[in-house]
Amino acid sequence: SEATANNASNSTNTNRTSETMSTPTTFWRLAGMSYTQYVTRAATAVRNGLKEPARTKAMQHEKFSYNASAWDAGKIGPKKPVQTLSEAGH
Amino acid sequence: MMQRALLRRFTPTLRRSFSTVEETAKAGMTLNFSLPHETIYSGANVNQVIVPGAAGEYGVTADHVPLVAQLKPGVLQILHEGTSDAEKYFVAGGFSITHANSTTDISCPEAVKVDDIDSAAVTSAFEQAKAAFSAAEAGSLAAAEAQIDMEVNKSMAAAVGVSLA
Repeated sequence: SEATANNASNSTNTNRTSETMSTPTTFWRLAGMSYTQYVTRAATAVRNGLKEPARTKAMQHEKFSYNASAWDAGKIGPKKPVQTLSEAGH
Repeated sequence: MMQRALLRRFTPTLRRSFSTVEETAKAGMTLNFSLPHETIYSGANVNQVIVPGAAGEYGVTADHVPLVAQLKPGVLQILHEGTSDAEKYFVAGGFSITHANSTTDISCPEAVKVDDIDSAAVTSAFEQAKAAFSAAEAGSLAAAEAQIDMEVNKSMAAAVGVSLA
């Protein structure tokens, strides 16, 4: 029907970037990276090119972790650490 | 009575000379330069900032036209009042926003002193990335990652005077 033909959520394309963006022009966007992923990779490359002791100090900035908590009936549940976002159900 | 009249005559002159001194001290621009883990400059009064914009390098002084620019991996130079040598940082990327009131906000995910760059590490990382790029499938994620590594390392090498291709 007309409604379903126009409804973008009915498409089988799971790449949300191409649904919402106009034609990507940068090489990283074309490869499926977001700006955050691109700039984070560049930051890692910068840190790897340092002399000691600046390198060890900079590598501390690479560390990060995720905590996930589930919502139930308007209330947030307890936080638990997760290794990857897919573990948290994304 | 006499003293008070004398004071009133002298004070306005003093106030005028103070304001002239204030004006020359604030002749520069204000710089806010921060990273996620550290604020390098907050409200610093500097003469000029040379920004590595993705569309090209440009310099910002007081009263620059407002501008928003994405940064490319490159050298950010800060020229302080009274010095001819610029303070150089290598930035991984980020954004620079120049406001109408001569304030520039620069925000980067990582910035390092150019003096801390290891030219040997950068050269070998570039060669590794170049090999990875050739081995990867064109347009793949691995190719994009290798290209980022190549571009950043090439730029870092250029910052320390090493030309890589």
